[in-house]
This record gives sequence, C-alpha cells and structure tokens, in this order.
Amino acid sequence: MNRDANDLLHGTLDVLVLKTLSWEPMHGYAIAKWIEQRTRGELEIVDAALYKALHRLEQSGAVAAEWGLSENNRRAKYYSLSARGRALLKAEAATWRRYANAVVRVLEAT
Amino acid sequence: MVGIPRGVRRALRLPSSAERLEHELDDEVRFHLDMRVRELVAAGMNEADARAAALARFGDTSDLREYCQSMEVRHMHRMRLREWWDGWLQDVRFAARQVKRSPGFFAVAAITLVLGIASTTAIFSVVRGVLLRPLPYPDADRIVQVWQLDQKGHQNHFADPNYDDLRAQSRSFLALAQVSHVGAVTVVGLDEPVRARNAFVSGDFFAVMGVKPLRGRLFAPEELQVSGPRAVVVSHGFWQQQLGGSESALGQRLMLDGADFTVVGIMPPTLDFPLKVEMWMPREMRPKLPSRTAHNWKVVGRLAPGVTLDAARRDVSTVARRVREQHGEDTWMVDAALVPLHEQLVGRTKGTLTVLMAGSLLLLLIACANVVSLLIARMSARTGEVAVRLALGAGRARLVQQCLAESLILGAVAGAVGVLLARAGVTLLLKLQPANLPRMDEVRVDWQVLVFAVAVSIAAAVAMGIITAWRGTRGNLRDALAHSQRGASASSERVRRVLVVAQVAMAVVLLVGTGLFARSFVRLLSVNPGFRLDRQVVVDVSHSGPQAERPMLYDEIIARFRTIPGIAHVGGVSAMPLGGTGGGNGTFLIMSGADGRMDIEDFERVMRNPERVGEAEFRVAGPGYFEAMSVPLVRGRLFEDRDVAQAPHVALISNSLAKTRWPNEDPIGKVIQFGNMDGDMTPFTIVGVVGDVREQSLATEPRPTFYASYRQRPGYTFAFSFVLSGAADPAAVASAAQRIVRAVRPDLPARVRTIHAIVAGSVADRRFVLWLVAIFGIAALGLGALGVYSVISYLVAQRNRELSIRVALGAKANDIMRLVIRQGIGLAGLGIVIGALAALGATRLIASMLYGVSATDPLAFGAVVVTLTLVATLASWVPARRAARVKAMDVLRVG
Repeated sequence: MNRDANDLLHGTLDVLVLKTLSWEPMHGYAIAKWIEQRTRGELEIVDAALYKALHRLEQSGAVAAEWGLSENNRRAKYYSLSARGRALLKAEAATWRRYANAVVRVLEAT
Repeated sequence: MVGIPRGVRRALRLPSSAERLEHELDDEVRFHLDMRVRELVAAGMNEADARAAALARFGDTSDLREYCQSMEVRHMHRMRLREWWDGWLQDVRFAARQVKRSPGFFAVAAITLVLGIASTTAIFSVVRGVLLRPLPYPDADRIVQVWQLDQKGHQNHFADPNYDDLRAQSRSFLALAQVSHVGAVTVVGLDEPVRARNAFVSGDFFAVMGVKPLRGRLFAPEELQVSGPRAVVVSHGFWQQQLGGSESALGQRLMLDGADFTVVGIMPPTLDFPLKVEMWMPREMRPKLPSRTAHNWKVVGRLAPGVTLDAARRDVSTVARRVREQHGEDTWMVDAALVPLHEQLVGRTKGTLTVLMAGSLLLLLIACANVVSLLIARMSARTGEVAVRLALGAGRARLVQQCLAESLILGAVAGAVGVLLARAGVTLLLKLQPANLPRMDEVRVDWQVLVFAVAVSIAAAVAMGIITAWRGTRGNLRDALAHSQRGASASSERVRRVLVVAQVAMAVVLLVGTGLFARSFVRLLSVNPGFRLDRQVVVDVSHSGPQAERPMLYDEIIARFRTIPGIAHVGGVSAMPLGGTGGGNGTFLIMSGADGRMDIEDFERVMRNPERVGEAEFRVAGPGYFEAMSVPLVRGRLFEDRDVAQAPHVALISNSLAKTRWPNEDPIGKVIQFGNMDGDMTPFTIVGVVGDVREQSLATEPRPTFYASYRQRPGYTFAFSFVLSGAADPAAVASAAQRIVRAVRPDLPARVRTIHAIVAGSVADRRFVLWLVAIFGIAALGLGALGVYSVISYLVAQRNRELSIRVALGAKANDIMRLVIRQGIGLAGLGIVIGALAALGATRLIASMLYGVSATDPLAFGAVVVTLTLVATLASWVPARRAARVKAMDVLRVG
C-alpha cells in the first residue's frame, strides 16, 4: 500500500469511527465489529490501525475514553463521542460526500 | 489524567503517564484479542488457531505501542509548555495582585528604578549620538585628519608648501584636501545682512567627505583659481533658512564680504564639516603662502582602498621626515600624525561622557540595590508562606519564577516610564547643550536607544528577581517554618545590610565626584579673568567694506554709544576675551636700529633668529577699551587720542609678555615688527604694559598678548566688539546700542551680549557636567537615605520584643533611640569608609577635568562624609523615635 492510499485510509477510518460512535459509546472491539458489518467486510481494516485512530481522536479531544465493564463483565475501555467529535463528524461527513460525488461524477462521465 | 489538577501528580508521586499508558494499552489490546478469539472459537475454530488468526488480524502491536507513546510524549510536551505558560500568567496575576495590595511599596520601587533607567538611557542616547554613531559619511572610518608634528610633538596645522609635498609624495590617499579655520563673512543680497560661518576648502574636499551636492554642482575648474569667477557652495541649513529652500537659490548672487559670489551648489544636511559651517568657498581663490611656518590649514584625507591606518601613518611620517631633511629649520615639521576624523571630532568629549555614563550606571546600581532590598524585605515577610509551599513540594524554580514575574513587572513599568522620562531628559540636555560638545544635534531617542533601555530594564529586573529569589527561598526549611511568625530570616537581613552598605558606598563615590566638580566650578568662577565682571554690554559687529573706513566708523559708533545715559566708558577690541571666536596669534620681531623698512620676505629671513623673535596673541583695541573692561595699566600709558593713523604706531603689551620677553629690561620704548598679522609693515613702539587677561577660557593661564590700536591698524578689525560699561541697566543699554548701530550703518550686522553671558558661555560645558553629576549625586543620596531608613525601620520592627523587654528592665526612651541610631550610623559608616576608599581611586580618573582642586580634595571628601553621616542619622532617627515609643506592655502583646 503506498503512502497516499494509507493517508486516505487514516482519514476514512476517522470518519468511520466517529460515525460508529455517534450511535452509542463502544469499546474498540465493538467498533471494529460494527464497521465490519456495515461494510460487509469490504474494507479490510487492520485492528491496530483502528486503535491508532481511536487514540489519535482521543488525544485531539474528538472522543472521550472511560474504563467500564463489557457485556461479559470484563474491564474494557469505552469510547464516546464528545461535542467536538460530533462537530468534526458533521464536517468530515460533508467533505466525504462532496469528495465521493466528485469522484463518482468523473468515473461515470462518458 | 482527566480530573487530576496540575502539579498534584508530582506532589502525590503518582506513576508517570508513560507507564500508565503502556498498561492501559496492553489491557485494551488483550481485551480485543480475547473477544476476537471467543468469536472465532464460537464459530468452530480451535483455540490455538483462533488466537493466531486474531493476532494476524490485529496487525503490528509494537508499532501501535510506539505510535501511541510518541503521541503521548508530544502531548506531554504541550501540556508542560502550557503549564509553564499558565504558571507565568498566574505569577503575573499574582504579582499584579501584590501591586494592588501594596501600591506604596510598588511606587517606591518603581520610582527608584525609573530614576536609574531614565538617567542611564538619557546619557546613553548622548553617548550613542556623539561617540558610537559613525559620522554620516560613506565609509566614514576611512576619513582622517593629518597633522604636522613639531619638535615638541605638538600638532600643528599644515603650511602650504608642506601640504603640497605631502600631497605629491604620499601614496595612501584616494583624496586629500585643505580646510581653513571657520571664519565669518557678511552676506549682503538677502532681506537683511547676515553673518555666515564659512570655510575655505580645496577642490578635493567633497571627494574626501564622499558627499555629493543635493542640488547644483561642485566648483568648476575655472572657479578653482585666484582670479576666476567666485562661487560658493552652501549648507542645507543656510539654504533652508536664508535662501528660502527653493530651486531658484541656485545661481543666486550674493555679496560676501564685499565680493560678488554665485551660489552653485547646495549640500545635503549630512555634511557638517568643519562643524556648523554654512558656506564652503574654494581654497584656490586665495594665493598660496610660500612660508613653511604659516600653519593655516587643516588637512583631511580619505584613505585609498586597502590602505590600513598604520600603513598610512608610516607613509605620512616618511614624507614629513623627508621634507624636514630637505628644508631643515625652514619648517617646524619633524614628523606627521594621522587621526581618524571621528576621533578628531569627539575624542575630547570621551572623558566627559565616560564619566557621565559611569555616574548614571552607578545610580542605576544603587536603584537596583534599593529595589532588591525592598523585595527581599517583602519576601522575608512571606517566609512562612514560602516555607509551606516548599514543604508541599513546590519547585524552587517555580518560586524563583514568581520572584522574576514580580521584578519583571516592576522592570517593565519602570522601563516604560523611564524611557518617557529619558526623552524629556534628552530634550533638557539638548537645551543645556554646551557649545563644545560636538554632534549634539545627532542625539535622539531612537530605536537603538530603546533597545538599550529595554535591555537595561530586563537585565535589572532579572538580576533583581534572581537575587531576591536566591535569598528568599534559601535556608533551612524547619527554621523558616519556626520563624515564620517573626518574618525575616537572619540571612536575608544580612543581605539587606550588605546592600545598604554598598548603596551608601556608591553614593559616596557619586557625591565626592559632585563635590569635586562643584568645587572646581566655584574655583573657576572666582578666578580673576583680568577684567572686571560688571554690567558691561558687548556689541559685536563685522565690517566687510574697505578697511580705511573703519577708524571713522568705529569712532562714530563709540561716540554715539557714549551718549547712552549711564554709560561711562566705551571701547572696542578685535576679539572679546572668553568670546570663543576671533583672535589670532603670531610671531613678532624685535627691531634693532640697523633694520630699515622691511617687507614680508625680510621678515621671514630675520625671523629665524630666535634672539629677535617673540610670540604673542595679536589684538587690536582702542582708546577706552581698557577702561571699559577695567584692565589695569601696569606702567607707561594707554592708547590716547593723539595716536592717529599718521602718528607713529604704538602698542600695548600684557604683563606676562613683558615678563617673558623682557625679563630684565623695560619694554617701553622697544620697537617691534608684527606686520605679518595684518600686512601693514609699519613698526610699533611699545608705550605701555597692561594687566593679563584670560583670553581662551577661565581655566587657561593668560597668554602673552599684544594690543594695537584700530585707528592705526584697522586691517585686523573686520570683526570688532564694542564694550560699554556703566551703571545703566544692561537690557536698556542693549536696545539703545542696537538702535545706534542701525542708525549709523543699517547694513552692519550687530549682535548684543552681556559680559555675564559671555563668561557663562565659556563655562557652559563644565556647568553641563556639573549639573548632571549633581543630579546623580543627589539622587544617590536620596536612595541611600531611603535604604538606611527602610533597613533600620525593619530592624526596629524586628526588635520590638527585645526593645520592650529593655524598656521593662528600665531603659529610657533616649537609650533606645541611641541604640537604634547607632545601628544606622554603623551601617552607613561602613559604607562611607568603603565609598571614600573607592572614591580615592575613582576620582584620579577625573583629575584632568578638575580645576584648582586636587582629586583627593579633603574638603570635598570631608563634606561628603559629614553630609552622609547626617543623612544616615536622620534616616535612622525616624524609626528610632518609633522604637522609643515602645512600651513595656508591648512585650506581652507581641509575646
């Protein structure tokens, strides 16, 4: 994978994580599962990259983290969307839509 | 991390964030892998395969760890920076609160600092303008002045033939030029006649200075001739003020001393050489003198590229020695010297300015010491608080930072006010402007002076903050806590005492300097100048018409001046003593019976016989002058009405000339030839000896002087000063005199001064130095007194308990007062002794600037010691009285 594609993926992953967390606070594994299900496994996301994204977002204040108990009573780190994350999601989603539409228009042009 | 206030983690010794992060990340990853394994196992995989698959799916864990760690490190850095910054903000806010809480304290500290910063900045702007700023010419460091050196090593100006040889033979110069003394010409052709300062310069002068005309041109070749068309180049100032600053000034015709000149060029304002000159005329319009001893010309040169100053020095020296070998006794020049023009112009003021700069820095130091002392006192009052904070784990650096914040606020406020005050101070300095300080017009508060002021303020603030913090946060914690109720620790009190001693010592140095300058100023003013200082009014005129007109004109003016009511005597002289202008000196010849009428060549020939020559100042006076100035007649007679042009020419000589040249003879009746001064070769007969007069300055011994009468020798009297003496009010006399001159000759420019103004002007630069040093000295005295006062007050407060016990045991109020005052005098006394010793060394450096007082003058030293002792007594008397009011009961309350 070359560098540009990787960067693209970072950005993509951030939006996906934010979108996922907009439903409810979740721990990392749940987020991974949720994205897998929605994308029907078409985006091969390495788990490590997902955690990088989570920590990056936590550091920038877009998500907050808190240790809690999981469904099976294990200690797990739950991530939730902050107000700042919500705003970020809104902006990023709009950018993404514009971007995707533009690419699609180009590809569908004859 | 969330929810833990800053600093608490450190205080509670919590694990560092890096360890914590690794733990948490491990937990998180393990949870994720376990969940994945559980899911895969549930889907039917065996445990081992499932774990392998989960790991593969997860990717590089060590990469993730590194990523998270580096992110954490960056985050920590940001946090720390913000914490540091927040700390500063907090400190500044804290300090600001302190300021609000004790505005009096802050005001005293700030005013103290302002004094120091303002004086240092003001003096620095003078130093910078005069000494440090390069001359405003391109590559100004390449411009030099060349001097002839005579056998005694004295510098002489150049004689024409010597200059020609130098110019032909030296290899070091890109350009070399002659410059005359600054003279004055009468300018006619403007609205009214004016006097302008002029100089004659040779063709290459402008190339030497590297200056091109702002408008017009330089001299054309045909103008560089004795009989060519007359051209003049004027200064920017003259153009603006007298020629209206318009283009039409070029080509304008002006009558200069009766000759017709055309203005061909206007120089930019930067060209100010010779100083304050307004008109440059071609040297070439005046014939060259063949004499090698007519030292008429300054010589300036611009060094050729690549020639060092030393190489040029060797070069001119070689040329000079060669000329000496060729011409022997015909020239006095045995060597030549080279001085950079900048040094030439400002060299003499270096000493003065160094003294002033040192004085202001001393004042700044005293001010800083005072503020540090105040800050430490306050810090001591907070010993308890500081100790508690130290005990709670506050870093010492943090406390230092707090002190710094406080002193930086002080420094910033004092710096800002100080600069404003310095600007006012510079304006004042410029008003006091001594005539002899060159380049004062280049003095201003510019950005470099501002940088200096800011640097000084910050340096002072940082130094003060660090010393305060060092003293304030040091020492045994337990002691500090134990003493916290009592305030100061012994060590910080010791520092304050040391500071007071240093302050007093520095104040002594400044005051001794003030005393010495003041004493020499008084000495100088009490010097007998040889004439009586009364209500004389002096009218300076300059007559540019034919010299034959002058005797009648001056006679008429004098006759009319006599009619002014209350005027007793009126006379005139070619150069007023202490007037700063005019006056020439030369070599005269004692005639023997064998000499017939001689011309200039004969004169030069006989002049080589040292038996028959003498040197004297040449003045032209007239009847009434010596009476008007009250210069006593020692023997013989003064000028009288019978000494008219056709009568034998008579002369008076000063006492010192009589004593030096005719020590064992009666000079009266001697015949001498002094025609080289005014071109009239009629010999003089000496008819009288008059008292000595200090001509150059009050500090200079009277020079041997020769007087001719204007009625017989009008050639030297184009500039003439009338002296009117009498009981009349000088202001009334001045306006009457002005009216009379205007009535007699409307085109004769006249200036009226009082003799007091002339004397005051002659000591202006000494008064300038005295004023400044006195201001520094008085400020230092005030600050020293403040220092003693605050330390003693504090000690009294400290010893309240002890004092009340003494009272309880029967001590009287007087005993208590004596006790306290003795302490204050003890402190000051040590400072006085140290300061006096330091002053003994320091005043040696100003010895050359003193007059009639030795640098170790016991009176100046004694006066300072007494003054400071009195001031210290007074400064401790106030707190002592407070101490004396202590009552025995207080011991219980304080207890």
